[in-house]
Amino acid sequence: MSDILLQAENVGIRFGGLQALEALNLTVRDKELCCIIGPNGAGKSTFLNVLTGTLRPTSGSVRFLGHDIAGLPLHRIARLGIARKFQIPSVFPSLSVEDNLKVARWGAPSPVRPVGELLELVALTNRAATLAGELAHGQKQWLEIGMALAIEPRLLLLDEPTAGMTPQETLATAEMLLRLKGEFSIVAVEHDIRFVRALNCETLVLHQGRRLRSGPFHDIETDEMVRDVYLGRR
Amino acid sequence: MPPKACSPACANASPARPDAMDFLVTTLLNALTLISILMLVGLGLAISFGLMNVTNLAHGEFVTVGAFAVYFVQSMGGSFWLGLAAAPIAGAVVGCILEFAIIRHLYSRPVSTVLATWGVSLILQQGLELTFGLGAKPVTPPIEGTLDLLFTVYPAYRLILIGIAMLTLLGVILLISRTSFGLDIRTVIQNREMAEGVGINTRRTYAIAFTFGAAIAGLAGGLVAPLAIVLPQMGVNYLANAFFVVIVGGVGSIGGLVAGSVFVGGLTSILNYQISPSLAQAIVLLAAIVAVRLRPNGLFNGASR
Amino acid sequence: MIARDRNWLLIFAVCVALAIVYPLFADGYQLTVIRDALIFGLFAASLDFFWGRTGILCFGHAAFFGIGGYIMALVTLNDAIPFASLLGIMGAVAGAAFVAAIIGYFLFFGGIRGSYFTIVTLAMGVICQQAAVSWSSVTGGDSGLIGIPPIEFDLGGLHVDLSQDLPSYIFVSAIVAVAVLALWSISRGRWGTVLTAIQDNEVRAAALGHNAPLRLLVTFVLSAAIAGLAGALYVCMAGLVAPDLSGLLLSTEVIVWVAVGGRGTLLGPVLGAIFIQRAQQTISSFNPSLWPLLLGCVFVIIVFVLPDGILSIYARLKSLFKGRRRAQ
Repeated sequence: MSDILLQAENVGIRFGGLQALEALNLTVRDKELCCIIGPNGAGKSTFLNVLTGTLRPTSGSVRFLGHDIAGLPLHRIARLGIARKFQIPSVFPSLSVEDNLKVARWGAPSPVRPVGELLELVALTNRAATLAGELAHGQKQWLEIGMALAIEPRLLLLDEPTAGMTPQETLATAEMLLRLKGEFSIVAVEHDIRFVRALNCETLVLHQGRRLRSGPFHDIETDEMVRDVYLGRR
Repeated sequence: MPPKACSPACANASPARPDAMDFLVTTLLNALTLISILMLVGLGLAISFGLMNVTNLAHGEFVTVGAFAVYFVQSMGGSFWLGLAAAPIAGAVVGCILEFAIIRHLYSRPVSTVLATWGVSLILQQGLELTFGLGAKPVTPPIEGTLDLLFTVYPAYRLILIGIAMLTLLGVILLISRTSFGLDIRTVIQNREMAEGVGINTRRTYAIAFTFGAAIAGLAGGLVAPLAIVLPQMGVNYLANAFFVVIVGGVGSIGGLVAGSVFVGGLTSILNYQISPSLAQAIVLLAAIVAVRLRPNGLFNGASR
Repeated sequence: MIARDRNWLLIFAVCVALAIVYPLFADGYQLTVIRDALIFGLFAASLDFFWGRTGILCFGHAAFFGIGGYIMALVTLNDAIPFASLLGIMGAVAGAAFVAAIIGYFLFFGGIRGSYFTIVTLAMGVICQQAAVSWSSVTGGDSGLIGIPPIEFDLGGLHVDLSQDLPSYIFVSAIVAVAVLALWSISRGRWGTVLTAIQDNEVRAAALGHNAPLRLLVTFVLSAAIAGLAGALYVCMAGLVAPDLSGLLLSTEVIVWVAVGGRGTLLGPVLGAIFIQRAQQTISSFNPSLWPLLLGCVFVIIVFVLPDGILSIYARLKSLFKGRRRAQ
């Protein structure tokens, strides 16, 4: 199966005595969009750290295009084609919006999209000369998505892309991602159900470090068990 | 500047009997002398640099001030022991003023702290030079003569120095592990916000911890005064070595401090027999850098910096 | 951004013009004073190139200046070496770069930044000075080496002889101008922008595919190489080399020149070096130990009153003036 981009098999992580993740499997095919959801503390961010190679799993393996990426330096992982948007907006505050995108393009082995197109994609064309540190919170999040796009990724990993956004901004972000769907694979970690509903894609539900359910979102949404977990009934 | 004169390397005593056992014991005791001093100087640095994240380049001047306190008391006709009692007080006074006037205003500006404390260091050095004049200051040890150990004859004062240093370290361990102030310090180190939440005055705790570290460094200066060449510029070598101790040993535990001191002090003492002191220093620097490359969190613990 | 670049070039052009007309008004001694100050200005610019762009302070930069100086001295004092001046300069640059590469490799790839870096470089400076003093069979010990000949070489039919005041002044001015312009174009372009990004958020820059440690290392090595060049030029002009040239006091002074002149401006540190040295000569003529004392005070004042250097007074006055006007 040559269209498998990222494959996590039987991934588990122990921090001391705590089993943070247990027996997780995830397969991301080329140009596929999928979501990982779960309540706070379910291990979503930890799992994402494993997927990006920043955390080495204590059991199981993560392979990107057949390579083991655990423990590689960050910039090597980026050059393989994995882009990541951090949970806390981490743009370069003392550079302009345009320079932020330029720095991102320069990091890529072969950037394709010109800066102007990136600015348009993330709706920041008229803020190009603004210092990134002076942007509003939602705009920072978009700029970060733009920076992740600039490196022409095969796989884009988004850690809570809508954290701190207004409902309108959340929907705009979902539309932005749907427009990009089909260009590369996207994995989004979220706990905002509205956002995931807007994306309506393959979804993995985590609970206490384990797989609770997985499948298309409309199946997940109607699942009794998932509702219980989200409403805190169990 | 007379840099080689004030190197801690001059804390070496020459062996009196040329047989192997004698050589071994003498080297060991020389190393122990240096390690003791480094532990005392490094302790204050471990508090300010390691735990408060304050880079205090005037830390070496606490040592200088302690040594000058002993010299001053002796020159006024007082005994060495009176001087040694004055040394930590002098260090504490300077440390307290420094914390109050400069450091507490710069907690969020690390580069500014480096520059300002270096400025203070220069001011203190030149102030001492203007007050006490040029040239090395003589300090006589309280006990001349040597002690006949089983395998070697060793200067008695050095044994006293080692003893006092060990007792001080023991006292610090007890203070941190047994008293309520020690508990405050440990809490602030673990989690500053939480400490504030449970009503600990972190600012005051920092100030006291900093002053305490300065006092211990002053004591180290007093102890080393009879062995070293007492000059206003003597502090910088202790500063560099104490930073190596903290960097190599890692921060956050007495064990790290001991490990760092043994590494730096031991290596320096052993190398000093083979090669010139400055080359020995260069090798210690390189070894420290390599150690940091291999064990970024210190030789002894896994605490992140 | 564009306006700032234009302003910089304007100030640079004014400085170059002043340097060109200065020999018309100055005698030989005054020329040599400015020439030596310009060499230290180049040294200050080399530190600013690293500190200003990365935010990481090197506290032992004089070590590279001294290494360059000693290598130049040893090469030119050895009669057996042909083309001594040119080889000496190359050796000085390479030697300083080599030491920086070794230290920088372990520190940057070991994840050492910020204060840790500052302290290790401080220790490096102390050790270099000690080595210069105690390795007396090679370095001449405390008194150093004297009788270093002026730079003299043939290049493509052009005979360069810097034993006279005016030629040496022109040579040094030209090198400083070219070097500062080169460093400026590097630091405002792609290289400098990525360095700023690394200073802002190194993890983020790495996650975008930038090899941050390598970039910091290359910047550090380049900075040290320029410092080595300045050291080589200086010993040929002064005719002697001494342990002070790699010492802690010089490392300290160069930080003051950069901080007073304005970190990150490259031109400010050159001007800072020239003016502060003039002040130093005046003050030291009263009492030599007064200077370090004053230097200490300058450090404290910079931190609390002028964190952005002397040039920031102008910007502050401007904003104050604007504020007043708006209030009226």
